This record gives sequence, C-alpha cells and structure tokens, in this order.
Amino acid sequence: MFKKALSLGIVSGFLAGMAGIIYAHLYYSINEADFSKVASSIRVIMSSLAGGVLAAIGFTLLNKWLKRNGEIVFNLLFSILSFASLLMPIAFKLPTSLETPELFPGMVIPMHFFPALAWFTLKPLFIRHAYPVA
Amino acid sequence: MNKYFYPALAALVLLGSAYTFVATSWQIADGYSIGFSSNDAGGVFKTFKGVLVFDEQNPAASKFDVTIDAASINTGNGLQNKHAKSDEWFDVAKYPVIHYTSSRIVKAGSGYQVTGDLEIHGVKKPVTIPFTFQKTAKGAVFTGSFTVNRSDFHVGKPGGDVAEQIKIDISVPVTKQ
Repeated sequence: MFKKALSLGIVSGFLAGMAGIIYAHLYYSINEADFSKVASSIRVIMSSLAGGVLAAIGFTLLNKWLKRNGEIVFNLLFSILSFASLLMPIAFKLPTSLETPELFPGMVIPMHFFPALAWFTLKPLFIRHAYPVA
Repeated sequence: MNKYFYPALAALVLLGSAYTFVATSWQIADGYSIGFSSNDAGGVFKTFKGVLVFDEQNPAASKFDVTIDAASINTGNGLQNKHAKSDEWFDVAKYPVIHYTSSRIVKAGSGYQVTGDLEIHGVKKPVTIPFTFQKTAKGAVFTGSFTVNRSDFHVGKPGGDVAEQIKIDISVPVTKQ
C-alpha cells in the first residue's frame, strides 16, 4: 500500500510542482510581479513533492488505523489542510526590496491546492480502492 | 575707470567670498534606504526626495528639506501595507507625505546633528537627528538613525502590538549637483 501511495505522492507532487511553475510564469507575465527570489522553480517543485510525500504517509497511516473510513478522513484532512495552509502566504513577509507584496498571495494561494488536486486526479490510476470493497 | 574699479573689485571679492560660504547642493542618488523597525512591524519607504544642501566645513549654512511618499511604505506584506496606509495609521489619502525641514545643523562629535520639524500624519514636532556624512568615490553618503514615538504623531492606536518607539534608519547616497 505505502509503495503505491508513495508513487502517487511523488508523481502527483511533481506534476503539481510543474503546474505551479507554469502558473507562476503566467502570473509573472500577466501582473509583471516577479517573486522568483522567494518562490523559485526549485522551491515550488520541492514543496509540492514534500506535500505529495506527506500525503502518501498520511494516506497509508489513516487507512491502516481507520480501515474503511481512512480514505474519507484523509480526503477531508487533505482538503482542510490545503485550505488552512493559505494563511502562510497571507502572513508571509517578503524582503522589502520586492515590489507589490500584495500580489504575492494571489500567486501562491492557488499553488497550495495543486498537490491535492493532482493527488485526487491521479489516485484512481495508482490505487483503485484503498480498502477492498466487499 | 578708476572710479569704478575699486568698488567693483570689492564687490567681486565679497561675492567670491560669499560664494565660498554657500554650502554644496547634493542630489539624492539611487540606492537610498529609509527603513523603520520596532518589535513587531518593520519595513521601508520606497520614495524619498528633497533638497540637501550641506557643507562639512560650514554646517550652519546647510539645509535639509525632504519629503517621503507615505504611500510608498513597504512592510513586505500586502495586508500590512494596506493597513499601514489606512486612516488608522498613516492615512495616506489625507496625509500623502512625511515632511522634514531642518532649522539648524551643527557638528556633534565625529558626526553632525540636524534639528528640524518632522511632520507625520498632519502633526508637526521638532526632531533632532544625529547623522554622519562620508565622502565616497561617486559623491557622499548621509547616514542617520533616530527614534520617534508614533503616538506623538497619532500614528496607530496607542498601545497594541506595535511598540510606541519606532527606530528609523536612513542611508542616503548623494552626488554633487
């Protein structure tokens, strides 16, 4: 189970990171707000990968402890934690050399949902049923 | 000819000597920094302009008249910036600039001291700023540091999370005009 979940976590994390980079480039070109000093491509990829791996660990543990309800609780938790993590970019203090810090949350907030989005999208390809259906 | 020569010479000498007492005008160069900090809040003002007339040998003939664009405040956080510009803090819609005009500049130890009126949020108070003046290859740099009590200027509510005493750090590179 953990092997499949980890594969899903890594693949979905990587794809979420790629989506984040594409979104960041789009955001830069539309708003002319360059935050690459604090949200570099490598940081976006690595944090998305970390999100995917943490999701894999959480998914495995919850399915082990809660059996049939594990996936339901995991999905809820993943969504809630993604939503709660929005506080981080809102409260984040950028270096004062960067202009227009008010545009920073607009760039980073959508990225916080990419790992969950990628996980939920790709999950059926990796794990059909976390707990065998009777 | 002789009648006018000596008076003209005297006038020329007087003018020439007066010119030597006129302090040098300095133009504010890029790379200046107007920072503020306290236990909680901190940031910079991005836009600063004004007239800096200063002569190391004759500080008494020197004069500063500078303004800071209050709306150029940058704390590094969008929400904090919005809050700082609001009527509770700097009220930039009503008081768009922070203004400082010197009234007296004197030598103080290894540096100098400027006394003048600082106007923030529509409140004018006398403030003394110690500063140094260091010549560089391109011109010179004024550096100063002082503390203001934000409640003296009715900036923000008294008490609260942000300390009353706000430290201001100034570094202004200048070139000769």
